[in-house]
Amino acid sequence: MRDRQPLVFWTGFAIIVALLIASPLVLPPFWARFVTEILIWGLLAMSSDILIGYTGMVSFGHSAFFGLGMYGAAFVLLETKPPSLWAALAAGLLAAAAAAAFVAYFSTRLREIYFAITTLIFSQIFYIVIFTWTELTGGENGLTFSRPALAIPGLFSLRFTPMVLHWFVLAIVVLSYLLLRRITQSPFGMVLQSIRENEARTRAIGYPIERYKMVAVMLSGLFAGLAGVLYALQNQFAAPNFVFFVLSGEVVIYNVIGGIGTLVGPILGAAFFLLLREGLSRFFTEYYLIPVGLMFIAMVIFMPQGLLGFARRWLNR
Amino acid sequence: MTVEPLAASTSETAKLRETGGPLLQTENLTIRFGGLTALDNVNVAVARGQVRAIIGPNGAGKSTFFNCVTGVLRPSSGRVLLNGNDIAGLPPDRISQKGIARSYQITNLLPNATVLENVRIAAQSRRHRWSMVTHYRSYRDIVDKAEAALSAVGLLGKAYELAANLSHGEQRTLEIAVAMATDPQLLCLDEPTAGMSAAETRETVALVRRIAEHLTILIVEHDMEVVMGLANRITVLHYGRVLAEGTPSEIQQNPRVLEVYLKT
Repeated sequence: MRDRQPLVFWTGFAIIVALLIASPLVLPPFWARFVTEILIWGLLAMSSDILIGYTGMVSFGHSAFFGLGMYGAAFVLLETKPPSLWAALAAGLLAAAAAAAFVAYFSTRLREIYFAITTLIFSQIFYIVIFTWTELTGGENGLTFSRPALAIPGLFSLRFTPMVLHWFVLAIVVLSYLLLRRITQSPFGMVLQSIRENEARTRAIGYPIERYKMVAVMLSGLFAGLAGVLYALQNQFAAPNFVFFVLSGEVVIYNVIGGIGTLVGPILGAAFFLLLREGLSRFFTEYYLIPVGLMFIAMVIFMPQGLLGFARRWLNR
Repeated sequence: MTVEPLAASTSETAKLRETGGPLLQTENLTIRFGGLTALDNVNVAVARGQVRAIIGPNGAGKSTFFNCVTGVLRPSSGRVLLNGNDIAGLPPDRISQKGIARSYQITNLLPNATVLENVRIAAQSRRHRWSMVTHYRSYRDIVDKAEAALSAVGLLGKAYELAANLSHGEQRTLEIAVAMATDPQLLCLDEPTAGMSAAETRETVALVRRIAEHLTILIVEHDMEVVMGLANRITVLHYGRVLAEGTPSEIQQNPRVLEVYLKT
């Protein structure tokens, strides 16, 4: 219903993707890497939008799904010889999906704040397990490994230079976006939005709410895990502080800043937040979080629809 | 699970009407809230094709009875039989899938969705409901069914307005369209004319009468004129018990019923 001007939408989409393809060719290495990282955090934010924006469930557990994706990939890259990218991807997704299924089973019977708290507690349980199980996870030090090649056996093999990695990440994020967008417009996606609008009504017309919520959490966790795998690939490590709940809070902030229920908004929110933090930390050094916090408060008050909602209203004026 | 379009279900129910046995039957239906017995061994049998009204003074247990039948409340004991199968204690979504639809006393819609989307999502609950990668608008069959339900209640002209922007009367009518879009065997209407103007009430009565030609209806209503004009059988509840049951004229002459209604 929203995309009444599909031509405008797809033109804008093509321009942005083209700019992102070109970015490592024109930007200095530091900023090129920064853009890759924004894409990964954007994917994580987008995955949580499925719950926050479309189903009306605020998850504080996305660090767990992200972290499990990260560790799942790391284990496989350390254990297999030669390390296989695809096996790492599969393992990361499997680990994240398993964690999501576990969290979903217990949390989806609960609503609102109780759901949020339950997801937070479960993610902290995962954090503690990872932090203390040193033999398996490296504990505080995490796991480090070398990057596999981007290869299809018998067809081609490419070394992961920063540029190849950027394009690989971009391709996955764009495909994920298109897939998630389609899911939100599918009959299943409409049920999620109906649950957000009126849960009792949705149940009364015949939808098993808990099952829909479980699938939504698992779907969201799967894409969060995908972001975790990409982050592990980029940085060649898996570390416990990425499973800590502070990361989940940041993901919620990306959503709120960018505009929930839009998929693109959370990516925009991630970009804005990370750029702001980068810029302000140069001026304010270790006190940078104070201006970041003030800006966040101002944005919530003055543009509650987020950046995207604000831009939309401004353009429609 | 029935998946026939609205038009086809007419002959289907007509056929069912001839085969005997009540569509809905409660056996010793009882529900207690702490020390209060809200429903006390209620036995009601609704035949196919019937319009059954449940009346009674405030607090008689009418809405509680509705909520037990539609799964919102779990009865403490007793059975609720639909086509002879016990459905007591099933959650509302399962009961909806078994063929009981309801409208609410207080309007309960998706306010930020269009009128069409409110009905479409209901129609979609019988088919394609787990489809994830096809655009929802590509399922023409569902949109057609939703439009048919809207045209049946006379709201097709407002299909693309937000449900929140409809008048109160139109929202109540939309409730009925949403319920109809799930292809029910039994339609439960909880005070469908509450808060309506005289003109809107007349229209709603005419609408319910049209629907009753091919559907069994259970209706809770305060407005006696509406009840007498619609129902062909009435059950009177009083303090959670069945006080009387009969045709409208029997109920109007029943001294116990008159006493209860004059007292309150």
